[in-house]
Amino acid sequence: MSEAFKSICFAGVLCLTCGLMLTAASSGLKPYQQDNIRMDQQKNILKAAGLIDDQISYSRQQINQLYQENIIRLNVDPTGLIIDTATASEKEQHILPIYILKGDETGIEAYIMPIQTKGLWGTISGYMAVKKDGETIAGFSVYQHSETPGLGGEIEKKWFQDDFVGKKLVNTHGDFVAVSVAKGKTDSSVPADSRVNYVDGISGATLTGKYLSLGLKEALAAYEPVSIRFRQNNIRCRLQDQAPWCEYEIKQK
Amino acid sequence: MKLSKNKSFKAIVRPFWESNPIHIQMLGICSALAVTVQMKTALVMALSMTFVVSTSSLVVSLIRKWIPANIRIIVELAIVSTLVIIIDEFLRAFFYDISKQLSVFVGLIITNCIVLGRTEAFALSNPPHLAWLDGVGNGFGYGFVLILVSFFREFLGSGKVFGIQVIPKSIYVAGYEDSGFMLLAPAAFIIIGLLVWLQKSVSARKD
Repeated sequence: MSEAFKSICFAGVLCLTCGLMLTAASSGLKPYQQDNIRMDQQKNILKAAGLIDDQISYSRQQINQLYQENIIRLNVDPTGLIIDTATASEKEQHILPIYILKGDETGIEAYIMPIQTKGLWGTISGYMAVKKDGETIAGFSVYQHSETPGLGGEIEKKWFQDDFVGKKLVNTHGDFVAVSVAKGKTDSSVPADSRVNYVDGISGATLTGKYLSLGLKEALAAYEPVSIRFRQNNIRCRLQDQAPWCEYEIKQK
Repeated sequence: MKLSKNKSFKAIVRPFWESNPIHIQMLGICSALAVTVQMKTALVMALSMTFVVSTSSLVVSLIRKWIPANIRIIVELAIVSTLVIIIDEFLRAFFYDISKQLSVFVGLIITNCIVLGRTEAFALSNPPHLAWLDGVGNGFGYGFVLILVSFFREFLGSGKVFGIQVIPKSIYVAGYEDSGFMLLAPAAFIIIGLLVWLQKSVSARKD
């Protein structure tokens, strides 16, 4: 009896000690961790926007400054309408974040959408930047994946991501088709008139390409209402240089 | 007393080569395959591992007289996992990029047989300073293999050492290519296999 009681007491004290230590570590380090996650997100948005180079390392201040200067976050609902962020979070369930890359005079240079898709071994997360014409890809970046290094893992490489630049989300008739990963080189496997909708595939990573194509199509389709507005050129932006936020309005036809 | 007969010295040096956890005891192979693509991740993993093994051995040894024998394994596990979670949180706060690459493998130190093996086999029956040294030795022994394997994998697989390009561009131009195979897990198996071979033939010659 006393033996069992001793064990229970010991276990109790141990649990309490371990629990306290974990709580302290978790709550004490949380601000740093969240800061890191935010930083990483900003870095990857900037990468998709083509503002930073993967080969060069940037300080936190540089990234923060670049982000503040160039990127504005907006929320849109599934029909593509911009929602007021202050009230949106509680009311709306399907908010799609969209990041606007500021241009010089016209206001918007490009818009950036988060991409999340199934891969062969796990989720692939990244960002895709599309120019203000609503159909030309300006950049693509992957920041998290668990594909096989050397095969599917090539999606994180510059050569693969650079291939997206200049590709179109719409076919020659102007219909939405998204952008897909070809099986092999586009030159040999895709008919000439739809090459603008395909990027070169990765040899030995057919499945990764297939999943990425499907995921891109799904993600881009969700943002299609926004892209249509860009294509019809009816998003207007008034940029005020001093204010951290600028106002957007949409003129319906 | 000769240095090599000293107990403390033995505790720290034996696991380095003679009874190395990876290539002699064949423990912790799983993480050794996963985190050795780059030297940077291997180093951080080695340091995390050393911290966890040495600290858990120390703690278990300090309270070894009070640990009830019937719940000792779960007590050891609770201590080990607390330490692992703390180091994981720490990496996430201060070495975010590396912690992202290491992903689940830091958390999996909990299930690494080296840690539980050392606390159960050594720390429970030895005084704290020896237990701590034994932990450090095993951590370093593990880390030594990790870094050796990752050196070959990074050097042959991407032409880099610690992320710095060492194979000059001109050689690539001349037709040299990085071995993609080195980036895959089987390459680590082969390198560890060669290490085992080396170790066995060296020890055989001594005998």
